[in-house]
Amino acid sequence: MEVVHHSSAFLLPSVAPDHRPSLNYALIVLNQRLPRFTPLLWQHEQHSCGSALMEAPTGCLTKCPACSLTKTLLPSETGMISFRYKPDVIKGDMDSVRTDVVDFYIKLGTKVVDASHDQDTTDLHKCVSFICDFTPDLEKSKLCILVAGALGGRFDHEVGNINVLCRFKDTRIILISDDCLIHLLPKAQNHEIHVLSSVVGPHCGLIPIGMPSRSTTTTGLQWDLSDTEMKFGGLVSTSNIAKGETVTVHSDSDLLWTISIKKSQDSSP
Amino acid sequence: MPGLFPHEDAVAVRNRYKPDVIKGDMDSVRTDVVDFYIKLGTKVVDASHDQDTTDLHKCVSFICDFTPDLEKSKLCILVAGALGGRFDHEVGNINVLCRFKDTRIILISDDCLIHLLPKAQNHEIHVLSSVVGPHCGLIPIGMPSRSTTTTGLQWDLSDTEMKFGGLVSTSNIAKGETVTVHSDSDLLWTISIKKSQDSSP
Repeated sequence: MEVVHHSSAFLLPSVAPDHRPSLNYALIVLNQRLPRFTPLLWQHEQHSCGSALMEAPTGCLTKCPACSLTKTLLPSETGMISFRYKPDVIKGDMDSVRTDVVDFYIKLGTKVVDASHDQDTTDLHKCVSFICDFTPDLEKSKLCILVAGALGGRFDHEVGNINVLCRFKDTRIILISDDCLIHLLPKAQNHEIHVLSSVVGPHCGLIPIGMPSRSTTTTGLQWDLSDTEMKFGGLVSTSNIAKGETVTVHSDSDLLWTISIKKSQDSSP
Repeated sequence: MPGLFPHEDAVAVRNRYKPDVIKGDMDSVRTDVVDFYIKLGTKVVDASHDQDTTDLHKCVSFICDFTPDLEKSKLCILVAGALGGRFDHEVGNINVLCRFKDTRIILISDDCLIHLLPKAQNHEIHVLSSVVGPHCGLIPIGMPSRSTTTTGLQWDLSDTEMKFGGLVSTSNIAKGETVTVHSDSDLLWTISIKKSQDSSP
């Protein structure tokens, strides 16, 4: 069975060109308090898209369609606004963004998409849909969407954002906070998580989100699971420790993987 | 605690907010802090031998053990500091709500509170609009919910299915003073806490 690779290389100040997996990153910044390294993620995405273009077989520098529409920003009402961090697109209900902020970005060339007619989906859902719609099918397997500002704050917001991971199971989406990152490990796949110990770990966890998991097996953890059942009200693997460079996970159920982010990271790009 | 009273003498604050018991793995508490509270009369219970349960689980067990059976239905445990921070910690704390389904336990943060609504019961939530709301949510924790019915919400549920990957009731609004919930599944109820609260006693 094919192995699905996961890496947190996007948290490094610069990514080695041969780092696996080779992905096209998109960044969504939500209208909440942002993790301290959001500027790093933003600058970083430009670099990773640029180097991928340089290595393209055709050798020509064309504008990657994924790059030009990778940054969707819902500006914080209290956050700083900078020319350096101009989003490509602002999309959402538009109910928590100030009109002067919207006008500011329109003048800079940002496209504004008002999706307030759709009350059944969260702002994050709308942004993820938007990015997926703009990604050609052939590129979708290389797409990785990073989301800053999805955790902490109101618990129902956090859960709504986690539910977006479950709704878009075939898309790599990583929620990032100051303390940790979270992404889905879809069921019945062999997952290989590359633990970059300079930026993440060792604290980690596996969570049976949505339904009990009859059987999960792991390697590389302090408390490995071996055909172990997990469910809320019973065992949920929290406060675990990633022991080495690689953690493998296989489960009959969708799981959330979460790992801590190291505090000593210098987040300025 | 002194951090919440920046203009007061730290020692005076600590004396005012003396815990009856300190219990847990003792792996994240400074020894000088433990010694300080022992001198004030706090009982310290080292439970580091038990690595299968979280600190919160140990504390809830402790409180339940000390509560006479006749008093248990009137017991309500409030937990400060259970949310935010590391996500796996948060989940571990939420799992304690699921493990102690018959005990009222409320997790509280600056932004919201969370507690369990056990399945197959008629729940009536009294919304004190001076301190909580209106933003709220119902979350099918642990397994999909085939049927939930509510009243008092902006987007009420009516024999509605909820599950991760499908509909989860988040960003809902509590419209009035009372919200009722009945479900075939355990649900987490969460409601926002109003910011304008003056929290100093």
